[in-house]
Amino acid sequence: MKNSLLIALREFKERIGTRSFILFSFIGPLVVLGMIYLLFSLGGNSKQHWKVLIADHGNLLDSKIMPGEDKAIDYAFYNGVLTLDDFANGKKFQEYDAFLEINEKVLSNKIGFVFYREAPSVRMQTRIQFQIERRLEEILIERFDEIPLKEYLKIKQKLNLTFADVYDPNNQSSKLEGWVGYFYGVIIFLFIFLFGMTILRSVAVEKSNRIVEVLLATTSPRQLMQGKIIGIGFSAFLQFVFWTVIIGAGLYFMRETIFPDLLDASKMNVNELIVDGANQSFQESHFAAREYNEFVELVFDRIHFVNMTFFFLIFFLLGYLFYGAIFAAIGATTGSESDGQQFVLPLIFLLFFALYAGYHSLYYPDSGLTTFFHYLPFTSPVVVMVKLATGYGVGEAYQIYLSMIILLFSAIIVMMIASRLYKNGILQFGHRVRLRHVFKWLKKT
Amino acid sequence: MLEIKNISKTFYRKEALNDVSLSVRKGEIFGLLGPNGAGKTTLIRIINRIVQQDAGSVRFNGNLMTDKDLAEIGYLPEERGLYKRMTVHNHALFLGRLRGFSKKDVLTKMDYWFDKFQINDWRNKRIEELSKGMAQKVQFICAVLHEPQLLILDEPFSGFDPINVELIKQELIEMRAAGKTIILSSHNMKSIEEICDRAVLIHEAKKIAEGSISELQAEQKMGMYAVRFKGSMIAFVNALWTGFEVIDKDILGDDRFVVRVKMRGENSFQDLLKVLIGQIEIEAAWEVLPSMQDVFIGLVQPKEEVSDEE
Repeated sequence: MKNSLLIALREFKERIGTRSFILFSFIGPLVVLGMIYLLFSLGGNSKQHWKVLIADHGNLLDSKIMPGEDKAIDYAFYNGVLTLDDFANGKKFQEYDAFLEINEKVLSNKIGFVFYREAPSVRMQTRIQFQIERRLEEILIERFDEIPLKEYLKIKQKLNLTFADVYDPNNQSSKLEGWVGYFYGVIIFLFIFLFGMTILRSVAVEKSNRIVEVLLATTSPRQLMQGKIIGIGFSAFLQFVFWTVIIGAGLYFMRETIFPDLLDASKMNVNELIVDGANQSFQESHFAAREYNEFVELVFDRIHFVNMTFFFLIFFLLGYLFYGAIFAAIGATTGSESDGQQFVLPLIFLLFFALYAGYHSLYYPDSGLTTFFHYLPFTSPVVVMVKLATGYGVGEAYQIYLSMIILLFSAIIVMMIASRLYKNGILQFGHRVRLRHVFKWLKKT
Repeated sequence: MLEIKNISKTFYRKEALNDVSLSVRKGEIFGLLGPNGAGKTTLIRIINRIVQQDAGSVRFNGNLMTDKDLAEIGYLPEERGLYKRMTVHNHALFLGRLRGFSKKDVLTKMDYWFDKFQINDWRNKRIEELSKGMAQKVQFICAVLHEPQLLILDEPFSGFDPINVELIKQELIEMRAAGKTIILSSHNMKSIEEICDRAVLIHEAKKIAEGSISELQAEQKMGMYAVRFKGSMIAFVNALWTGFEVIDKDILGDDRFVVRVKMRGENSFQDLLKVLIGQIEIEAAWEVLPSMQDVFIGLVQPKEEVSDEE
């Protein structure tokens, strides 16, 4: 183990001293921050104006939403019973981009559905969600004008608005939280790929300059491989810390300056909010600011970042060990670095497949395939992140631990197989890898 | 010190070593000879436990070798590499610590070796900034830094200029005097002849000869003698009759020559001296032993010819 640590330390020092590491540590998170800014600030979808039909059978909303007009959205109300099929195919409904189903239960269960023809942009979703939420708050305040603080806090819950395709209702358009989870998953796989390639190159270089022979005279192939994976993993972790700090600081900066937090509910006196809730002009005058605050609220309030980051680290670690061992084995078995690149191609497909699995789980969170991807070690790091962000149901928390255990055991098995390939392949030079060689190396102890 | 018994190793269908046995004594420089692809590197890797033999055993100081014994072995492989972006200091420190030394001990030994090889000024340079010879010195230092009992050097002289070759040779001789054991694999036959006590020759995965350098030379001697004399070369040639063949001569000046003569038939060294006495003024005469290069060629080539015919 001591030798593994020495090797890890050497790898770590070598990585963090490179220019690319320093550049990637600072430019990477800045690019991400820029993308977040663009995504939420510029909308991100071509359609800027939406017509939304609200199917409000009981006229709960009293046929109004906003105290003032939102130029981006026209709301219309339908007080009859409207089925999905009617909306999807009915001629008179074709002018509407989406319809929102509201009934009396929404005040208690806080669940609503928006069925769209074309998926709305994140910004549009945020606007719709915010406006409906505020209108429901108004109704609550009207109905219970004198309620104790505790009671108010109990009923003041966030509206759980699900966006779904009207032609394919199972395709539930991303909840915003889901996208944040997906982003985490993408970061995991981005890091796995980048640092996996670093492992591969490092092994290939040691092979090509033959220092590996000196190393193997002092340490076992398994220790060498472990040390390499650990050392490069630590440099990946350090990079992740840089990313977290820079992105965190950037988000804080945005919150304080670009997206001013004037009506942050967490900072407001609840009684004041009740009074001001009825004060339309106050709300109106601050609407623009509040609209952006949805993003801030999403990032700072709705996502349990501590929780997410904790599981991110665990799934990143396990995913990295799982894939890192495969990268190391490829590096050891191939005859040259260029040979290795070819063998990496299937692995890249696998990584992209994992990203697709995460995307699938965003849109079909309850499908059988999503459940399968949730436990499949190749895809679980990203799918778990998505599910973590959108939230596991009551009594489903075991799923995350089950997925973690499966990934852990898979990583151990892959490490064992990879170290066998590594041991038998590392001293083969200048050969062309054939599958029969790989199988022979796997059989050899 | 090192006892290798009946070692065999096959890679896929290619036989790398076939039932090779040899022993290396403590405090000697042992030559490991053989043409390219003979199996020398495989044997060295087996001793270093880098690859596992299919059959046979390796004993170190009387016991079956284990990973713990690796701390007592220094190894300089033939195709050696260094981490190009590390400094000389960090590289030596890293390899020294991998051998089990504390940082403090490695630094003490580094000071000694860097002084000895005069590379202190290069200590904080990156490996990629060094000349090939300088990098070779660093590699050698890394192999001996932990003062191993057994040092295995695969082609240690390649890449060195003659001055550095002498430096390494002297170092090896000093290490032998200090009781260290050295296995030296090299195609530099002159160096083998000069510094090795004993040697083994491996060819086509098999051991074909083992013994002291003089024993190996004696086995390959071809009945050639040299005579140093003063007088006329014509008189020398006239004195010989059909039983002798002049192979070549060196002119020393002042009518002095060294002539190498090969016996024919049943003629002996005594017969040669008898025919020469009185004809020329003999200063010295001796039996010419083959160089290690000749031994090597003599042992390997006939087999290659046979295998070619096959």
